[in-house]
Amino acid sequence: MQTSRKLRRVALLGAIATVVAGAASAQEVKVWTLTFANDSANKAWADIVKEFEAANPGVTIKVEGRGTDEHKSALRVASGSDQGPDIYFMWGGLGLGGEFVKAGLSLPLDKYYAEYKWDDELLSPALSFSKQYEGGRHGVPYTFHGEALYYNKALFEKAGITTAPATYDELVADAEKLKAAGIPAITFGGTVNWHVMRLMDMILETKCGVDKHDRLMSMKVSWAEEACATASFEEFHKWTSNYTLKPFMGIDQAQSFNLFLGNRAAMMLEGDWLVGQLKGENRTADFGLFPFPTGTDRLYGFAEYNYISSKSKVPDIAAKFLNYLESTDVQQKHLGDFGSISVNKNVKYTSTEPLDQKWIEIFGKFPSTFVNGDQAFPLDVTTEYFRVINEVASDNLDPKAAAAELQKFIGNRS
Amino acid sequence: MPARSGQLGRKLQDPTLQGLMLLAPAVLAYAVFAFYPMIDVIQLSFMKWNGLNADKHWVGLDNYRYVLHDDPVFWVALKNTLIWTFLSVIFPPLIGFGLALGLNQNIPGRSPLRALFYMPVIIAPIAVATMWRWMFDPFFGLFNSLLSAAGWPNLIQDWLGDRNVALYSVFIAYVWEVAGFSMVLFLAGLQGVSQTLVEAARIDGAGRLQLFRYVTLPALRPTITIVLILSLINSLKAFDIVYGMTGGGPAQSTQMLAMWAYTQAMQLGDFGRGSAISVVLLLITVAIVIPYLRWTLKRQEAYQ
Repeated sequence: MQTSRKLRRVALLGAIATVVAGAASAQEVKVWTLTFANDSANKAWADIVKEFEAANPGVTIKVEGRGTDEHKSALRVASGSDQGPDIYFMWGGLGLGGEFVKAGLSLPLDKYYAEYKWDDELLSPALSFSKQYEGGRHGVPYTFHGEALYYNKALFEKAGITTAPATYDELVADAEKLKAAGIPAITFGGTVNWHVMRLMDMILETKCGVDKHDRLMSMKVSWAEEACATASFEEFHKWTSNYTLKPFMGIDQAQSFNLFLGNRAAMMLEGDWLVGQLKGENRTADFGLFPFPTGTDRLYGFAEYNYISSKSKVPDIAAKFLNYLESTDVQQKHLGDFGSISVNKNVKYTSTEPLDQKWIEIFGKFPSTFVNGDQAFPLDVTTEYFRVINEVASDNLDPKAAAAELQKFIGNRS
Repeated sequence: MPARSGQLGRKLQDPTLQGLMLLAPAVLAYAVFAFYPMIDVIQLSFMKWNGLNADKHWVGLDNYRYVLHDDPVFWVALKNTLIWTFLSVIFPPLIGFGLALGLNQNIPGRSPLRALFYMPVIIAPIAVATMWRWMFDPFFGLFNSLLSAAGWPNLIQDWLGDRNVALYSVFIAYVWEVAGFSMVLFLAGLQGVSQTLVEAARIDGAGRLQLFRYVTLPALRPTITIVLILSLINSLKAFDIVYGMTGGGPAQSTQMLAMWAYTQAMQLGDFGRGSAISVVLLLITVAIVIPYLRWTLKRQEAYQ
């Protein structure tokens, strides 16, 4: 009787232990990221998750993808609860990424940087953003992107352009040649504000130079008092009036890309991820690429990061997954899926695709970068920057008054 | 004990208590999910809060001062909201009324037609937005293709990219989406028009126009009130179709108050300003709806 009771107790304890052990080993890591326009990135994610789960029994990686704005909103909504992600995608830098770090929603990762030796394995320019925050290292680089001008070889040839422009004046001269040949020089989608913004960012770097550009973007000098800021808006307006495929304010970036593919415009200001999209369309041979000739030694680009939430109950396994994602083998295997260049510096580039090679050359050529306006400014100023740019682009605001209009908003901030 | 249970039984027979008991769950749900958030938003409108951390602090009227004085978009959004509301209480109800009158007649295919005109109401607004965005596409869209085919290329527009026409383009899509809702309400109202009165008026020699003017229209007065109130409230909080079609652009020229409140709170992380805009919207709604309701109630009492 007693024996059977003991046996029952042992069996019960055994059962409880099994359940507890099972619960402890069954860990779910929630990853919130973007649904990328580049389908190869989505496929790569699915593969990586499957491989990691197979190598780590009992771990489930649950990836949720959303559009950019929906992703930002979802993170904000989830911030007040414990239903948010363990890992979330956000850009590097003080603008977008910094907002979440400042709010205490990102876990400092110094411990994991030391444990996994990410500083030895990842690219320095991409890592630099993780050091900008107060209170430790935040986020792990996921991609490092550059943006440049893609051009339609046939349309350039038709306009009599034989070499890529090396200076801004040459670029304008080429835009004039294209216009004379009846070809819109460039295409943008106006409904997504950040697309047209890229042109303004580039012109600002060209007209103001490195130091003044950065002081304007960090709002340390007045936009209204800097002649180069007004000159930039005037130059920007010249492009939207004379050289841009119209109408463009009512179409988005995806439609603009389709028009570019349809040979309706000669150039498109896009990131290295466009190579993947062109590969998807089997059209890489039709296009070339050159950096926007700003005259400075900086590449226009940004880093995308994955951050671990300060609310995560499984930070160790989340860090382990990020380490797997950044590892040389995985990055080598999925090279080109997230962008032309990997954040892992041990990756070997063997692509014979000229556009990929061109990007590698560009990344090697520029010693430093400057980020997109919507990542340099705080969110509210970004929204106003978009509005002012769009007002100028749609001829509703005199470009001479645009810099002062932006400064008025900056001056009214509390 | 039996006396007590008898007392309880008698109490339960009380119609007032029964009514209160039946109302209680709904009142509780309303208090938790509607009244409390409303009070919370009013409270938030006097605070600074980014929606991410616990740091909420009182700033008094600062949010209202900023919104009314310094915000470069607020007045554009207010103007758009008022234009939208004005158009919304005219066109969708009028079209819905016309459709209801037509589909109240004994015509062949009446039921499928009713279903067809009601269909847009049940389609998700974001799907409606996507569909119309493609129709308005300046390069490949239906409207510009039709204008080209008809030989009117000078009428081709950047429907959603030109600030002078974008708001009205979105409004056309909105009319298509909601006119069926007014139609159904008017159809229900038309079913309630007394046939006895109609027959009596006919015997008295009333023509079609007189029948409509003196019998149908007065009988539809409560329905008209409901349709106008619902159109008014729905238009004041217009959001999804504008968000889906233009996102408030170009250059915030189609921005609406409801969407701007959302943008400030959810996208820019300023819940104080977002709440202040919501409170302004609430006050505008109350200022329009309450007087109209009182006026219609007075008129109804005068008719009875």
